[in-house]
Formats: sequence, structure tokens, C-alpha cells
Amino acid sequence: MKDWAFTTTVEEMEAATNSLLETAQKVGADTWQQRVKNQTPHCGFGEAGTCCRICSMGPCRITPKSPRGICGCDVHGIVARNYLRFTVGGTAAHSDHGREIMHTLHQTKEGGNYTVKDPEKLIRIAKEWGVETEGKDIYDLAHEMAEIGLLEYGFPFGTQKFAKRAPQHTQELWDKAGITPRAIDREIATAMHMTHMGCSSLSEALIRQSLRAGLSDGWGGSMMGTEFSDVMFGTPKPIDTEANIGVMEKENVNIVVHGHDPSLSEMIVYYANDPEMIAYAKSMGAKGITVSGVCCTSNEVTMRHGIPMAGNFLNQENVVLTGACEAIVVDVQCIFPALGPLSKCFHTKFITTSPIARMPDSEFIQFSAETAGDNAKAIVKMAIENFVNRNQDLVNIPSQKQKARVGYSVEAIKKVLDGVANSQVDEFGTTKPLIECVHSGVLRGAVAMVGCNNPKVRPDSAHIGLMKKLLENDIILIVTGCSAQAAAKAGLMDPEKAKEYCGAGLKRVCELAGIPPVLHMGSCVDISRMMVLASDIAKDWGINISQVPVVGCAPEWMSEKAVSIGNYVVATGIETFLGVDPYSKGSSEVTELLQGEHGINEWVEAKFVVDTDIESLGDKMIACIEAKRAALGI
Amino acid sequence: MTLFDRVFGGNDYNYNRTVAAIDAAIATYGESESVAFPDTAYSLPCYYGITGNKISTLGEMKAAMDVIKGMMTRNPRLQDAFDSGVASALCAEFLEALKYLHGAQPYAEPEMGFLTDAFVRNLGVPLVTGDIPGVAVIIGGAEDPAETVELAKSYQAQGMLVTVTGEGIRHLADAGMKTGEGVRVCPLGYEMQSVIHVVSVAVRAALIFGNVTPGDYKTLYKYTMDRVRAFVNAYKPLSDEIVSYGAGAICLGFPVISNETENMFRVPKSLIQQLDTTKWNATSLEARDIKLKITKIDIPVSYATAFEGEIIRRGDMQVEVDGSRVDCFELVATKDASEVEDHKITVIGPEIDEIPVGSKISLSYTVEVAGKAMQTDFESVMERKFHAYLNCIEGVMHTGQRDMIRIRISKADFEAGFKFRHLGEVLYAKIKSEFEAVVDKCQVTIVVDAEQNKALRAAANEVFSKRDDRLKSMTDESVPVYYTCIMCQAFSPSHVCIVTPERLGLCGAVSWLDAKATKELDPEGPCQIVPKERCVDEALGRYDDVDEAIQKYSHGALERVTLYSLFEDPMTSCGCFECICGVEPCSMGVVITSREHAGMTPLGMSFSDMASMTGGGVQTPGFMGHGKQFIFSKKFIAAEGGPGRIVWMPKDLKDQVRERLDATALELYGVENFTDMIADETVCTEDPEELLAYLSEVGHPVLGMEPFDM
Repeated sequence: MKDWAFTTTVEEMEAATNSLLETAQKVGADTWQQRVKNQTPHCGFGEAGTCCRICSMGPCRITPKSPRGICGCDVHGIVARNYLRFTVGGTAAHSDHGREIMHTLHQTKEGGNYTVKDPEKLIRIAKEWGVETEGKDIYDLAHEMAEIGLLEYGFPFGTQKFAKRAPQHTQELWDKAGITPRAIDREIATAMHMTHMGCSSLSEALIRQSLRAGLSDGWGGSMMGTEFSDVMFGTPKPIDTEANIGVMEKENVNIVVHGHDPSLSEMIVYYANDPEMIAYAKSMGAKGITVSGVCCTSNEVTMRHGIPMAGNFLNQENVVLTGACEAIVVDVQCIFPALGPLSKCFHTKFITTSPIARMPDSEFIQFSAETAGDNAKAIVKMAIENFVNRNQDLVNIPSQKQKARVGYSVEAIKKVLDGVANSQVDEFGTTKPLIECVHSGVLRGAVAMVGCNNPKVRPDSAHIGLMKKLLENDIILIVTGCSAQAAAKAGLMDPEKAKEYCGAGLKRVCELAGIPPVLHMGSCVDISRMMVLASDIAKDWGINISQVPVVGCAPEWMSEKAVSIGNYVVATGIETFLGVDPYSKGSSEVTELLQGEHGINEWVEAKFVVDTDIESLGDKMIACIEAKRAALGI
Repeated sequence: MTLFDRVFGGNDYNYNRTVAAIDAAIATYGESESVAFPDTAYSLPCYYGITGNKISTLGEMKAAMDVIKGMMTRNPRLQDAFDSGVASALCAEFLEALKYLHGAQPYAEPEMGFLTDAFVRNLGVPLVTGDIPGVAVIIGGAEDPAETVELAKSYQAQGMLVTVTGEGIRHLADAGMKTGEGVRVCPLGYEMQSVIHVVSVAVRAALIFGNVTPGDYKTLYKYTMDRVRAFVNAYKPLSDEIVSYGAGAICLGFPVISNETENMFRVPKSLIQQLDTTKWNATSLEARDIKLKITKIDIPVSYATAFEGEIIRRGDMQVEVDGSRVDCFELVATKDASEVEDHKITVIGPEIDEIPVGSKISLSYTVEVAGKAMQTDFESVMERKFHAYLNCIEGVMHTGQRDMIRIRISKADFEAGFKFRHLGEVLYAKIKSEFEAVVDKCQVTIVVDAEQNKALRAAANEVFSKRDDRLKSMTDESVPVYYTCIMCQAFSPSHVCIVTPERLGLCGAVSWLDAKATKELDPEGPCQIVPKERCVDEALGRYDDVDEAIQKYSHGALERVTLYSLFEDPMTSCGCFECICGVEPCSMGVVITSREHAGMTPLGMSFSDMASMTGGGVQTPGFMGHGKQFIFSKKFIAAEGGPGRIVWMPKDLKDQVRERLDATALELYGVENFTDMIADETVCTEDPEELLAYLSEVGHPVLGMEPFDM
């Protein structure tokens, strides 16, 4: 094991958190650390997925003595139904995020709040969708594409347009398995219908629908969310930033953005850089304005603007506990309702903005595409005016932060790869240089690491521990979401230092390509980028996705979205490793379907591997990658 | 079979045969038989550089095989392949060293085998300046021998250092291509393992110029990767042995370009398959990020720095311009813009085709320049470059300067259509490209007429003597500022030269005027102004301004230097110095030796040994690298008594500096013919007693000086 001397360790991060918890104690604030204790032990039926409360005859809980619910459904049907409902909760959330983006796209106009920043990408997708682009005003095209995109949610016939991006073989597998995704809303409705009392209890059918719903997310809603965010806000390219709580600045007005949808935060960033607002902040006694982020809203704005990342999911209370947060502005998903009461212990304004995420003890400023600029300006102003209300005695910003280079969209990665291609030999704009690195053994493979934090795992320890292990083994990391922020906080995205501790192969690749060994690909909807990358690699290589030495991993996942993601990643042919059990262990049938050789593995050539022993999970990933290599004879 | 398996296989093969070869050698000569390459202070340089251990006997070599075995791990990871590649290379070095056992001379022309330290040091300046833009390592030969020759020539024409291993050597020899250090095409040996001799050059570059500590292999690899622009061109078929060397090369940062497809892999920027071997040059340059200084000159023969050392023998000569017999000269003159017509080349008198073969002729060329930023002080700076400019023409040899020039133009050039006016084209193109910041217009007049040249030469001599007067008046005291020179930092990252009128850069290539011109040409470039307002100690040449500049430009590596002392914070060296001096304790004098002199000095050390004491930006009191012209400067170790301390120099060097040194000694000490009082290798080589006896016999002034305050 190498020492990774420059990185910020989990212990150091915990020490910083502990210093903030002291403040919490001082002001009598409630924190998740305490609530975890209150909630432990967790309900065993819930954890095993064996509790059914879909109708009011129950709730029914399955035990050896009572092996069936009142309706007669066995444990396999109950676990599978719960699993499917869990999945589509995530599908709905991700896809609704994508839908919001399409609505915003529909509102774009020249000189408006929202514009088309990457017209080339819009035209490229339009051509892909068979939409005429010649001689068309870019905004007319944007509106037309928005309407077509919105139809992906509810068209009566056909399947998702973006699913055609998958390699032919993958599409054939999907067709054969009957899981090619139809309209997104339909897949969610079908799932809810199937799981209604008195419908499906056949685990195989329920799991099949889980995959299909997941695919409608990854190759539908999420992909639209990603692609059209790029169209409106710019396709990410490498940019340097910083991460961890120390990015908040004591002398500045601190605005923290949190959630997932970049529409609002883009505007906040814009107005926080407005000279008029900066002057206003100075007039209030601050040196300037610092916008930082938590969770995937943070990932969105860091990818496009280098806005620093204050932390990930389980750090959301920390930013308030610094006593230096003038406003925490949230949109949707993964927002603790606890922020309301917590903010009341400080001067912090907790501002909710979406009708989707309404919470007590917050100031609600309904955000809409038409009034986005005014909304954002009002929020920034409110934060500035709140600066004077800080209780200086409570201010404690731990100084931890690390450098990070972020912004690796598929387009950016191909550009990096072009940089190491040789114009005398190679074609440009492909993934072939990466394939050559893997084929030759210089890189052993890649891991797409994603997902959340979960108090069931020591926060960030699995992300960071696994990454270090993989990096030492010449396995490159492509990451999104809270996993990406864990890496950035630790320093694993430092473009200069992180490579030093990698295996010689990965180190050399980083040196030649000028990249950090862990590539930040964006927010959790941007896992769709990973699907595109995997498809392009398989096509460029001429093999199936399942043959490529790439695996997925969500070691600390917690949300329904994560399960939806897991389903589409696996269904795309990528073996997926989980560090937290997906409430399925109560059923041997469902476990076999998801994790066995003869379940989904036979449909989509990949399966889940669940292991809560993180060291062992890492060994299994490396073994899986090496097995794929051996099968290819490389 | 995977790529790594091939590397491991090649490594195993090399390891086994090396063990056998060492055992056989021990059986013949015994374990105590000494092992060494000729003319190096770095033992077996690759093994020494990588492990930090010197090997001097067969017994030590045998023991070292355990170290090599330790590197041969077999995990399927690039680190293991790199280590095994290096292990394989070290085996190759041992196999090559065994060839030199017992005083054997294993290589004969055209094979060069081991390349000496002097060879490495000679590369220093041109590698730094980009005059040698890279190092092409050709392995094997093309199916069509003409193609190998073409490839080598293409790199040669770009000024690259080219090494050839294996069959390619025969292709070059059969085609009658000139090879050797002078033309920068170096056949190493027919056996593949001889490729180690160019790796050894790269390793020593890191030790000499980069001050890399032997054994610090990580820093060594980083140095070679970042600063030695080498690459490999390997013709198929590639054996596992070659593949293992390739892994070693890639470990050091050198990409391999090959046309092998059988059982072969690709790695971006590292292992490149280029089946069209005619594109190897372009592919390689791109892979190694080599940018060429492009000088497109309209002449019928090649033009490249690789031809700088080319010798034209009498029999190959079409005509000779001979300043020692007839009136010849070269001159730069500053004119008003109205007097100069840009790119006008005039030849007065007969062209080359009107002159009988073998003639010795009178010829002069005057380059007239005009420009708003032009200063007459730059005339001599430009003029000194003519030697390099004209020598880079294939088939043209230039020596001397001012009115003592000699130029030979070869028969081959004459047949290719080379004319006198092409000399003008070259001078025009180079002056315009290298001095573009100060020269707006330039015209060249070549006179091939003995009568006219007689008068013109007299006029030129008046210009020269005026310049000499100006130079003589230019002392460290008389100028307002000094200059830094950090041109070498690409290679020697912490070295800084302080250039003064009486102390030119230690490479001998940058005078105070050169530095001044460089600052003018490139304001943000390597030569920056050092004020001299805060003198701390005049005798030592210690200035606060100088120390500040040293700290800044060495990036904190050095605290301070003096300009005139050998003991107190002596100036550092990059490694490409012309000469080195070191204290001789018996006589309390100093010994100077030069890069050209391979033999011993009375210190019991050769140039290489002494040079290895310093260089790489390190201060070693008592040792100092310097330029030849510094020897006759009044400021030469002035703090310790000046050039009167010099007690020993190689004879050749004495002859080069005699006139000026005698004049300086006369002025400083009132001693006539001082140079004769200095011992050389004809008097003594290694014995200080003999040296002392000689110094007493001739009454050397050092005997009257105070002992050093060491």
C-alpha cells in the first residue's frame, strides 16, 4: 500500500467534521450523526425487503413461520415489487430532472435568461434524431428539439431515441430480453401498475421491468438532462478548481448551492460574478462573494465554471455548521429536511426554490425559467444582506481543501485522447488511444465509480479507499456524483500530485495526457455520459460492452436514483459492484436474478456484485477486470 | 502472448546469457579482473545511474546480477514491464562491458561502441540550444537498404543526433555514408545490445547536466523523459530481446516507432505502429513533441547543424578560400536603411564554375545590415556566428575568423550546382532569422578578386582594430551591467551563468556582447540584466545584485556566487564547460584541463573525473568550469591571485591561449613567456613531484604567492 502522503484522509475529514459538531452542540442543533444513532438498529424486514405495505390488508412481513402475505404473495414477489418501486422512484426523479431541462430548453431565446451555448451539440443531436437543421434558426431548432424530447416521456408507440446510440449487439440484447425502453412515463406507470395489489408477483417479470425502467432513465431522461444541459450551459471541458469545506471563505458572502438541477445555480453563479453584486457585497463589509456547492448541483457548476465543491451528500449540514453560510440555496433531490431547523440555529437562509422539494422552515422562492434572472438576483441579494447577521463567535471554516481538475465530458475525453494521438497514424475524435492503453496492458481497465454517501459506510472511506487501490493497479477511474466529490476532497483529482501514487501505467498515461487519474464526469444524471463512453469504446474496439474491461461501482449508494442507475448500468452490459445491499437479500430468487450467473446476466451479459466488505469488493472488481482481459487474450 | 510477456521473455533471455557470459569471463580472468568502459568517470553509467553503485571488477558484476534479478518481477503491470526492460538494458550494458575486458578494443570503424564522457559533454550546448533537436535511435535496417540511409539522412538534415544499431550500419556503410561524431550519425554496433551505448549517453546527460544523484532512478527517469528528446525507430522483425529494450526506452520516456505488426501492441505516444516507414521521421517528431527550428534556405545541398563538424579533405575539395595565403575576410557592417537592398546577393568576379578545380582563391564577403534596433556592438556577435552558419552547409568547411578564414567547398557540392552566391544566401537567411529583432534589411557582397580584396581587407582590418580597442576598453569595471545566461536551464535546471566582459559564459559560447544582443533579440529570454550597484567585495567580485539574480534564476537552488573566486561561492557549471580548473595542493596552484584532452592531470584525475565533481549547477569550492577565453582574463580567479596560479595545462590548450595569456601575465606580473612556465603532459602527467620540480626550474610565479586560504 502506498502512503498517498498529500491526500486528505478520511480521518482528517472526520476531525474537521467533529470540530463542526462541537458548534452544533453549542447551538443545540440536530445532526445526521445523532439521528443515525436514534434510528439504529434499522428495521430488519425493511432491510431485507420483506415488508409489504402496498395494500391496507397488511402490512405483511415475511418470516419462516408466515412465508406468504395475506394475498398469498411470497417473499420473492414482495422483494421484487419493492425493488421495482424503489427503482422507479429513482427513474422518476432523474427523468423529471431531464424533463425540467427540456422545458428550460423550450424557454431559450437570444439574449434571454437561457441561451444555447453549444449550438454545435444541438445540431449534432438534431441530426442524430433526424431533425432537419439546414437554414433553421438555432432557437427554432432548440424549441423543436425540446418538444420532441418532451415527447420521449409520453409518446404512445416506439422506444427511446437515445437507445439507438448503444452498440447494435446491446440493442439486440435489449430487444431479446424485452427491455428496450418505451416512453419514460409509461415505464414508470407500468412499474407502478405491475406492483399494484393483485398484479405481478413473478420476480423475474418485476426485475425485467426494473431494468427497462432503469434504461428509460439512463438512455432517456438522464441522457436528455445531460445532453441538453450541455446545449444550454456549455459542454464541460477541463477546468481547475478546489474541493472540500475550506473553499468557503471567511471574509466573503458564502452562498452554497445544493441539489441537482443546474438551471437555478447557473443563474446564481452568473449574478454572484456581477460587478454590481460584488460591489454591493463590499458595501456590506464582505470582501466578495463565494459560491460553492454540495451534491450534484455543485458537480454541474464545477464542471462548467470551476465553482469549488464544498462537499458531498453527508457534508450538507457541515456547510451550515461553519456559521459562515449566508444562504444555502436548493433545488431538487438529496436535500435533508434537517436543513430547515438547522439553519434556524444560525443566521443562514435556507432557500427552497422548486415545487418538487418543499420543506418546512425554509424560505420558498419559486424559481421558473421565465423569471430565473430576477429570482437568482433576489437570492444573491438576500445572501449579501444576511452577511451582517453572522455570529462571528460561531464561525469555523476548517481549512481543508485540495486542488482538482474537473470537466471530463465524453467530448472532453476525446479531445484529451486526440492530444496523445499521432496525426501520422491515428484518426482523431475516437476513443482508440484509450483502447490501446487498455489493450496493451498499460491500463488494466476502468471503473466507473458513482453514487452517494450512506451512514452505513464510513463516509467517503469506501470511495477513497477503493479508488486508491484501483489507481495503484493501473485502473483509471471515471466518476460522477458524490463519489466524484469524495475523490476531489481527498486530492485524487489533483492534476499534478495524484498521479505520483498510481501504478506506473496510469501514471504515464496521466503524464502524457495531462489528466488526473480520476476523471470527473459530472453529476449523477451524467452517468448517461458513461453509457455513451462505454458504447463508443465498444464500437471503436469492435467488441461488446460486456467484454470491455470496465466495471461500475457504487460503494456508498443510498438513493432510489442509485438503484435506477444500477439497473441501467447493468442492463448496458457493465458489471456493477455495490457496497450497500439493495433491500433484496430477503429473497433467494431476486438475489439470484440480480447477482447470479443465470439471472439478468443471461439477458444483458452483466450482473450485480454486492459485498459490504469494501476491501473484498475492490478485489472482486480487479478480478473481474482481469477476467475480462483474460477472455480477450490480452 | 501479451506485450508484457514479450518484455519478460526478452529480459529472461538477456539475464540468462549475461550470467553465462560473466561466469565464462570469471573462469578466464578471475573475479578480481577489472571492468570498465573507456574514458568515463561514471563506471558502467546505466547501472551506476540507476543503482548508485559503481562496478569495477568481474566479481562485483556477478554480485550485481542479484540486484538485476530483484528488478525482474512478473506481475502483469507496467511497472514490472518497465523494471524488466531496465533490467534487460542493464544486462546489455554488462555484456558490452565484458567486451572491453583486459584492454580489448572490441569496436572498429564504422562501429563506435561505447561513447565517451567527452562525447556526452560535447552534446550539451547544442542540445540546449535546440541545434540538436533530438536523438534518433535507429534499430535494425529497412528491407530496402536505401530506405535506412534515407531515414538516417532525414534526421541528419534536421540536425538530430542519429545512432544506428544492427543491420542499418551495413546499409549506411555500403552506401558510403559518412558516419561518426563529426556528422552526428553514430553506428553503435551490429549486435542489438550495443543500443545500450546511446542509453548510456542519456543517463550520463542526467548525471552531468541534471545533477541527478546516482541511484535516484525516479529523478533520473523524469530527467530523461522531460529533457532528453530521444526516440527509437525499430525496423521489423522485433525479437523479444528488442521488445524488452523498448520497454526500458519507454520507461526513460523515449517512444518506440516500429513497422512490426506481428504480436505487437500500440500505446499512444509510446509504442507506435507506423507501417509506412517513409513517415517515420514525421511520426517520431510528433510522438516526441520535437519542434524543429526551420530555416529554409534556397541552396542545392543540405543544410543542417549535423554537418557542422564535417571535414572536407584536400582530395574532395573543389576550391579553397585560404586566408593564410591570399587576401580573404568576413565582415558585418552596419549601414543606413537607404544603403541596403534587402536580400541582394552580389558576386563580384568569377563564379565557382569559372575557376579551375583545386584552386586556392582570394574571396571576401561583407554582410551589410540595417535596422532600427541595430547596434555596432552586435556586428562582431553576428560575425562570430558565420563559422557555424557556413559549416552547416553540407560539403562546406569553414574555419577561422576575420581575415584568417579558410573555406573549402567540396567537389560534390560543385557537382550539385553550389555557387559562391549560395554562401550569400545562407548568410542572408540565417542573419535574417536569428537576428530578426535587430536586422530589418540585409545584403551580401561576395568579392572574388585578389586586387579588390587587397584594398577591402585593409579597410576591414581598420574596423577590426577599432573593435578590438573597444573590446579592450570593455572591462568588468567599465560596463554598467552584467547579464545572466540561463540558456542551459532546459538541461541543467538550477545553473545560472553571470556573464561579464571579462568572464564569458563557461560554455565559451556567450560573451558579454552576445548576452547583450540576446537580451535585445529576446527581451524575456535567457539573458537578463544584472545591475552591479551594490558591490560587497570588489576583490571577490561579490555583489548583492548578483546574489539576488542567482537566487531568482536558480529558483532558490543557489544563495550566492562570487565572480572571481575559486573558493568562496565559486560560480556553478551546467556541465557543458570547455575547461575545468582544480586546485593542485602541492604547488598551491591550479590545474586546467579541457574537454578535448582525454589524458590525466597531475591531480590524478582526467577531465571527466574533474568534471564529475561539479556541473549540474553545484558549487564545489576548488573546482570550477569555465570557457577557454577566461584563462587569459585578468579576472581569472583574481581573488586567489589570478592566472599566475596556473601550473599545468594540456599542450594544445596552452597553444590556443598562449599569446593572450602571455600578454596578461606580463601586465599582471611582469613575467615574459608565462605560458612556457606552465607544465603540460610532456613534462608530467600524474606526479606532483615532477610538477613541483619543473615549476622550481622555470621560476614559476606561483612559488612566490601566498598559500591558498582554503
